[in-house]
Amino acid sequence: MNASDSTMISVASPEGWRIERHDHGRLDLVDAIGTRHPDVDVLRAFPVTAAAGPVAIIAADGGELAWIESLADQPAELRGLLERELAQREFLPVIERIEAVSDSEPSEWMVITDRGRHRFKVAHADDIARPPDGGVFITDTFGMRYLIPRELALDATSRRLLDKLS
Amino acid sequence: MTQGSAPSEQPPVSTLPWGESAGGLLPGETVLATGRFDLDSSLRFSDGWIVLTTRRVIADRPASATQPLGGSGPWTWTIGPHTRLDVQLRSAVGRVELSEGDRVVARWLFTPAKADAIHTIEDAFDARVAGPDGLTEPEGGRKPSAVTDDASGETDEKPAPAGRGLGDDGGGTASWRALFRVIAFARPHAGMAILGGLLSLASTTAALVPPYLTMPLVDTVLIPRQNGKDVPFSLVWWYLGGLLAAALAAWLLSWAQTWVLGWVSERIAADLRTRTYAHMQTLSLDFFQGKRTGDLMSRVGSDTDKINVFLSVNLIEFASNVMLLVLTATVLIWLNPLLAVLTLVPFPFVVWLIYAVRERLRRGFSRAAVAWSDMTSALADTIPGIRVVKAFAQERREIDRFVSANERVLEANDRVNVIWSFTGPVVSLISEIGLLVVWACGAWLVFTGSVTVGGLTAFLAYIARFYGRVESMIRMVPATQRASASAQRIFEILDCKPTVAEAPRPVKLGRVEGRIEISGVHFRYGAREVLHGVDLIIEPGEMIGLVGTSGSGKSTLANLVCRFYDPSSGSIRVDGVDLRDVDIADYHRNLGCVLQEPFLFFGTIADNIAYGQPDAPRNKIVEAARAAGAHDFILSQPLAYDSRVGERGGGLSGGERQRLSIARALLVDPRILVLDEATSSVDAETEAIIQAAIDRLVTGRTTIAIAHRLSTLRRANRLVVLDAGRIVEVGTHEDLLAADGMYARLYHAQMKAAEEAAASA
Repeated sequence: MNASDSTMISVASPEGWRIERHDHGRLDLVDAIGTRHPDVDVLRAFPVTAAAGPVAIIAADGGELAWIESLADQPAELRGLLERELAQREFLPVIERIEAVSDSEPSEWMVITDRGRHRFKVAHADDIARPPDGGVFITDTFGMRYLIPRELALDATSRRLLDKLS
Repeated sequence: MTQGSAPSEQPPVSTLPWGESAGGLLPGETVLATGRFDLDSSLRFSDGWIVLTTRRVIADRPASATQPLGGSGPWTWTIGPHTRLDVQLRSAVGRVELSEGDRVVARWLFTPAKADAIHTIEDAFDARVAGPDGLTEPEGGRKPSAVTDDASGETDEKPAPAGRGLGDDGGGTASWRALFRVIAFARPHAGMAILGGLLSLASTTAALVPPYLTMPLVDTVLIPRQNGKDVPFSLVWWYLGGLLAAALAAWLLSWAQTWVLGWVSERIAADLRTRTYAHMQTLSLDFFQGKRTGDLMSRVGSDTDKINVFLSVNLIEFASNVMLLVLTATVLIWLNPLLAVLTLVPFPFVVWLIYAVRERLRRGFSRAAVAWSDMTSALADTIPGIRVVKAFAQERREIDRFVSANERVLEANDRVNVIWSFTGPVVSLISEIGLLVVWACGAWLVFTGSVTVGGLTAFLAYIARFYGRVESMIRMVPATQRASASAQRIFEILDCKPTVAEAPRPVKLGRVEGRIEISGVHFRYGAREVLHGVDLIIEPGEMIGLVGTSGSGKSTLANLVCRFYDPSSGSIRVDGVDLRDVDIADYHRNLGCVLQEPFLFFGTIADNIAYGQPDAPRNKIVEAARAAGAHDFILSQPLAYDSRVGERGGGLSGGERQRLSIARALLVDPRILVLDEATSSVDAETEAIIQAAIDRLVTGRTTIAIAHRLSTLRRANRLVVLDAGRIVEVGTHEDLLAADGMYARLYHAQMKAAEEAAASA
């Protein structure tokens, strides 16, 4: 839809492989010996417990192609590209307000997120996780995650609804 | 490929979700599949439709498109011979891509919630392309169904060992002893407990003040006034003030007392739970083999709770009742000894009655607790085994089983109620009669002038209190019996001694070399001897394959090396130290186990791999997963290493679970490794992957491998053939084949079976 979609970007890694971004956001990885792996995926190995930790690039069939221990140690250009990709792939709506939570199980949630209004189901109280470094992660019945960065920043009604279940 | 906004032609029938605004279908065009996407180009929630027809894709605004889109949509894309539709969902955002040859022309984004419907579009598209002329309607094209929750398949089969529950016997004195033992748990909170007791005493005393004030109120104020004396009304205020102060004091004190004793009893119950659970963890495997999970759960959970209720509610009541009774009796005797004696006449009957029902109640409650355990067991047995239940269509039977367990609970409780419903009212009757006698006597005494009206009023107020206390004490009898039955069930666990006992002065082995000497080992399960004198020396780093038919003692031998049990006679030495002398936990740190049924705990994949070393750094976890061949499939999980697995979180195949358990063993870098049928529950292809991981695992470690499939033991340095609890052959694969003994027979039988299977395939 925008101009960047139709231009190819190629960024090389210090380890010899390079990554290419094509139309519509598709990524290819060309490895050190020149083999092209089309439509690769970028993901964090520990998205919850160490979001700044290792990043893997995997082939369309799931095999690992590259492993980056820490994005912070990568050249700025590569880091920028991968972080943009990760941001899109790790779609994590931030819940700004909880409007209603049903008493049923699975409970049905009506929320306002930074991505707009949304409705989802949560199967179990275990799906509301509070990692030690703060924030609340909610996983819905489809495995989608939502983040509440600061529980105390929510309004009173939202906090009460959140407490009801966790 | 054409596109544009809203063609103007309007066919009569439209089955499109937009109704007329989409322009409807072309002549001869039918809808194949309909689905919704729910994200726009900036990843905001925004619903839209995608419709696949026999000729076109009609959809709301895509996240990106090659050519600019005008108007407000929906837009259409004509399907040509090179048109492709691909759906990809690897992360939280899925995408539908419509491409022409190699070029993507439009892309829509969706969340996993819409995946089902989107996949029906993909299926319909593929079926359409696969059709004979490329334009026919697919057979059995599904309508986009309502999105349903994903029912996950894998559950952990946790076999709950069948067996009898813990015995329940022991007489009444034992039950009281059990309750006294519970009191010992109050020692750490002695200060608070004593404070609670003092508060009880104070609040009881405060509650005795009001009747004492009513006496002068009647005798010196009300009756003289009635008789025409001039008594100032201000005196009434004085007495009322006193009564109010006493009531307030009693309220405040009993509030404090309830809170303090509740605080103490919650802590005692929590300590009991922790102590019971921690003690269970120290018990040996054979304890768990004889127990039903539900029974143990009910002991740790519901029995401790009953004790808590007893301590926080009933014990306070009991203590304050006893104090009140003593104090009231004192006041009664002081007021009028004759009336006091009359009041106390029914008391012996009450005591006798309590004594008579107490034992029957205790038996009743103990039966009820056992029935409750059975009911919990019915749950704990079937929920992990729910797949078996469903597969054999035994839901009805399991419901019936639960119903009958529940009926036994009902029956046991009914029995208690029968006894109890009789006893309570009898006590009330006795106290009513006692009250009547005092009234009669009191009236006569007032007539003769030896007691004032005020004195009698106060007396009767005290008697009412006295009998009230007696009744509430009676009401406590069942609670006490219930708690003592529970206490006994808990102490049955606490009194179990581990059969594999820690040596008095255990030897810390540290990191072992891994030399294992088994000499003259016999082992009995109950009366049956499973091993009859086994001698074997395993050198450090050597891999031993244990071979033999089922029941030949292979697993028992492995369990002895793990020191899950101790040999009945003979000894097992590791680096020259008898296993009975070593510190068990310290020894177990040298040990790695991969079992036939890999058990995953509820938690993340990373947690499960790091189970043996919770503080392992992330790179070690990843390293272990790589070596176990688990890294790639872990990365394909929704949250990679942070994905949740376990009892119901599952979704992993048997082979994947097994690789996680291999990674778990690799992470602790054990010196001694036990592989008990590690590959027997997976298919041949997965076995090859696991075998490669196991080969990496065994390198440089003393290994005892048990395998039914002999091909998995190819790396073993020596094979040990067991038969009926004795070693019959030892040697390499070639040696044993040449010797043409038992191993050769087993091997040829397996080869033949494999050939036949290959031939028939």
